[in-house]
Amino acid sequence: MPDITTIIAVIIMVVKVVVVTQVIFSLPMPLTWIERKIAGHIHVRLGPMRVGPHGILQPLADTIKLLFKEDITPAKADKFLYKIAPLVAMVPAFAVFVAIPFGGEFIVPFTDKVFTLYISDMNVGILYVLAIGGLSIYGIILGGWASNSKYALLGGLRSSAQMISYEVALSFAAIGVVMMTNSLSLVDMVKSQGDWFWQWNILYLPVGPVWFVIFMIASLAEINRIPFDLPEDEGTLAAGYHTEYSGMRFSFFMLYEYVAMVTVSCLAVVMFFGGWSAPIDFREFEVLTPITSISWIYGLFGIFWFVSKVAVFIYFFMWIRFTLPRYRYDQLMTIGWKILIPISIFNILLTGLMRIWA
Amino acid sequence: MEQIFFYIFAILAVASAIAVVAAKNPVHSAVYLIICFLQVAALFILLRAPFLAAAQVFIYVGAVMVLFLFAVLVLNVGKERLGEQIHHQSVIVIPAVILLLLMMGILVAKGRLTAPMGAFTEKALEKNTEVIGKMLFSKYLFPFEVVSVLLLIALIGAVALVMKEKGSQD
Amino acid sequence: MGVGDLINRFIEKALFTDFVKGLTVTLKYNVSRSITMQYPDKEKWIPYRRWRGLHTLNRDEKGRELCVACELCSKSCPTGCITVIPMEDDTGRGISDRVARVWKIDLVRCLFCGLCEDACPTRALRLGREYELSCTDLSCSVRQREELLQPQSIPETLEGGVVAAAKFVRTPESIRVAADLGKTKKRRL
Repeated sequence: MPDITTIIAVIIMVVKVVVVTQVIFSLPMPLTWIERKIAGHIHVRLGPMRVGPHGILQPLADTIKLLFKEDITPAKADKFLYKIAPLVAMVPAFAVFVAIPFGGEFIVPFTDKVFTLYISDMNVGILYVLAIGGLSIYGIILGGWASNSKYALLGGLRSSAQMISYEVALSFAAIGVVMMTNSLSLVDMVKSQGDWFWQWNILYLPVGPVWFVIFMIASLAEINRIPFDLPEDEGTLAAGYHTEYSGMRFSFFMLYEYVAMVTVSCLAVVMFFGGWSAPIDFREFEVLTPITSISWIYGLFGIFWFVSKVAVFIYFFMWIRFTLPRYRYDQLMTIGWKILIPISIFNILLTGLMRIWA
Repeated sequence: MEQIFFYIFAILAVASAIAVVAAKNPVHSAVYLIICFLQVAALFILLRAPFLAAAQVFIYVGAVMVLFLFAVLVLNVGKERLGEQIHHQSVIVIPAVILLLLMMGILVAKGRLTAPMGAFTEKALEKNTEVIGKMLFSKYLFPFEVVSVLLLIALIGAVALVMKEKGSQD
Repeated sequence: MGVGDLINRFIEKALFTDFVKGLTVTLKYNVSRSITMQYPDKEKWIPYRRWRGLHTLNRDEKGRELCVACELCSKSCPTGCITVIPMEDDTGRGISDRVARVWKIDLVRCLFCGLCEDACPTRALRLGREYELSCTDLSCSVRQREELLQPQSIPETLEGGVVAAAKFVRTPESIRVAADLGKTKKRRL
């Protein structure tokens, strides 16, 4: 019979997992609305306006529509893989959030218990996130293959080639950050960056910004967003890998794309922008000195800073989407293999030298 | 508790490994191989080697299998027909496999198939990644370098092969 | 190209100047006001007087019909979509003894060229500012004299070229956008 502390720990863990999953699961709904609004305003339009005030209920209407749509399976599709592919894409996208720290830890008021604002602090956190996040690609490849349609197959093929090319650059960027912070754990990664904004990895001059740019480009390609959204290039491939999907299965793919965008934003914040730490160390001011780094106020403000930084990144991704046109396939390969990888290798050397001498 | 998990993962790994060979459609084979790799990664975690597990998923499942699938999809390998490849080989193969399994069973039963426990205690393996890194760059530096050079040779070889073909076509 | 140019180009590429330029353009548009007119939900465009919309038949100050059924509009129409059948009437319905018994226009064939308007000797015929002419069957595409004689929804005195507040009205018979001409504003461009 396990003792009471173990049971409480398990309950807290389960509650955390449920809360995080629910939040992440419901995030794509507002995000679709925000994306359409941003698209509208960048095009000097208004975006959704008719369902609810400023169209805020539009995602709800879309969900109802998708729920009631017929779930079509093409006649000659590989039935099992076709049906399971959207789930294969979606589940890893959620599993990633186990390792992502949304905040530090704080002591629960009136007790001496420490409450952590992350589900688990893995000592291979960054590897876990990249590895599990990479599994989603199978949903796209298998979905594209199983629907037995030329457009879907080409979309799946493109996404696999793109994934192989950019996974390398993405891992190099991760290696760079690991070298700068001396740890594979995402929590330690944040803690090793200081409390002032010039101590963040992005300003670890001169290599920090370069790693950040490499990370951003590679992750844009990994999550199939414009300008690298060739797997779902509607100009040449109808709708790409999800051409044959409809209803909820289609929305699972959409869910995956938005969750992947949130994941990448979280990773960028954790790896380069100091995670949950505020840009200015408020504890330096005399009034606020009683707030220690383990008080609950600091912990909750950590979540605020983390979420606002992630929001900025999500806006940035949407902003890019309506600024840049799509790359051609050969340009995509050129950027991946001939530009990003040589720069990364050179940058690893530079980072190593800086770690030795600085 | 851990034993139960071990048996779950091990049985799934073996079953999916058999399915890789048995599946007629190459894409299905690839999917079974992915499942097999994932089970092996889970076994690594049970062995207190999270770094190896993550590397297994990252490299084998994340990159190598994507490449496999890419090749399978590009080449459009059709469904394999049983019997086309196996020309009465089964007559010899099945007794051979049974014999092998019997031998392994006897060895396990007699306790001959054992390996010494690793030098690292569970406490030392808390910093699993560090341990692996230190071992790779100190004790096993030479094999590590040899493997790296081997991989580099393979890489350059692949490039050289493609270049040659291109030149002859012109 | 000199070495200096090459260095400049390299710096430009390394700092993503073109990318940043593009981003500033889109950001500017993002924060600028949208030019969308929320027709039919909230706003409706009131055209200028020169607009050629649905035909209207006018009356003089005393309320007599200006149309003398001379059939010039019908003759001048390139598509032959106007039918005029004249009749005698000395009760003071029209400004002369000759008035139209039937004056109808087939809007499906009309191309809103305005030649009829030019041909009209008494300025009885005007192309008005009603432009919501779509309907679900052909019956409403032929407009009769009685309907066209009704006063216009947008009076001639209004200059036009503004966006009026409007409401979408849905009735079992039809849908229409009712504009509130009291609340108008300039169009954002």
